[in-house]
Amino acid sequence: MAEEIEISISPTGQVTVRTIGIKGPKCVQAAEAVAKIIGQIESRELTSEYYEAEGHVSGQIEVRGRR
Amino acid sequence: MSSVILVTPLIIANWSVISAAVLGACGAMGFTVASGAVSGSGRARSGSSVTRAEIEVENSEVLAGGGGTDEEMVVEKDGVRATFSRDARGALKVCMEGTGYSKGQLKQIGQELMEQVTQQYVYHRVVTELKERGMPIVHEEVEADRTVKIRVRNW
Repeated sequence: MAEEIEISISPTGQVTVRTIGIKGPKCVQAAEAVAKIIGQIESRELTSEYYEAEGHVSGQIEVRGRR
Repeated sequence: MSSVILVTPLIIANWSVISAAVLGACGAMGFTVASGAVSGSGRARSGSSVTRAEIEVENSEVLAGGGGTDEEMVVEKDGVRATFSRDARGALKVCMEGTGYSKGQLKQIGQELMEQVTQQYVYHRVVTELKERGMPIVHEEVEADRTVKIRVRNW
C-alpha cells in the first residue's frame, strides 16, 4: 500500500492531517512534518496503524479438512 | 486506520500573499473589489445609519515588506462593505460596514469571509510548500460541504 498523507481543509478553516498506509512511529513524524507547514498542532490521535510494525510479515497457514 | 492530527492554521505572510487569499475568498463568496490596495486608512463611510463590526483574526500576522503594511483591500456585496487591513499589532482584521444590517449580521458575514480567507491561505501554503519539498500531489478534491482534500505521497 502506498504511503500517503491527506490534508483536509474545511470551509471554516479547520485543518486535519491524516496518514494512510504509514506504519509505526513514522506515521506521526510524517503527519507532524506536514502539520508544521500549516500551523499549530492542537491534538494527535494514534490509531492501530501506529502500533503495527513496519515492513512485511509473511507466513503460511495450512488448513486441513476433517475427514 | 491512521494517525490523525488536528491543526490550527497560522496566517503569517506579507500583504501580497494575504491579499491574494482575500481576493480568492471574496470572489468565492460573490464579493467584488471596490478599490484596489490603497495606502492609509480612514475610508469609513459617513452617516448614522451605517452599522459597523470589526473582526480581528487570531493567529495571524501581516509581515512587513513586500506589499507594505499600510495597505488595505475593500470588497463589496449587497450593500455590505468589507475592509481588510493590518491592525496596530500586526494582525489581519476586517472591518464590516453596511446599511440595514445588524451588528450581529455583519459579524457573521465577516466571520464567514475570514474562514474562507483561511481556507484559501492554507490551501496555497500547503500546495506551494509540498511542491518545494518535492512531494507529489496524487489526488485533490472539493467535497459537497466545500472541504478541500489534498492527498500527497509520503517522501
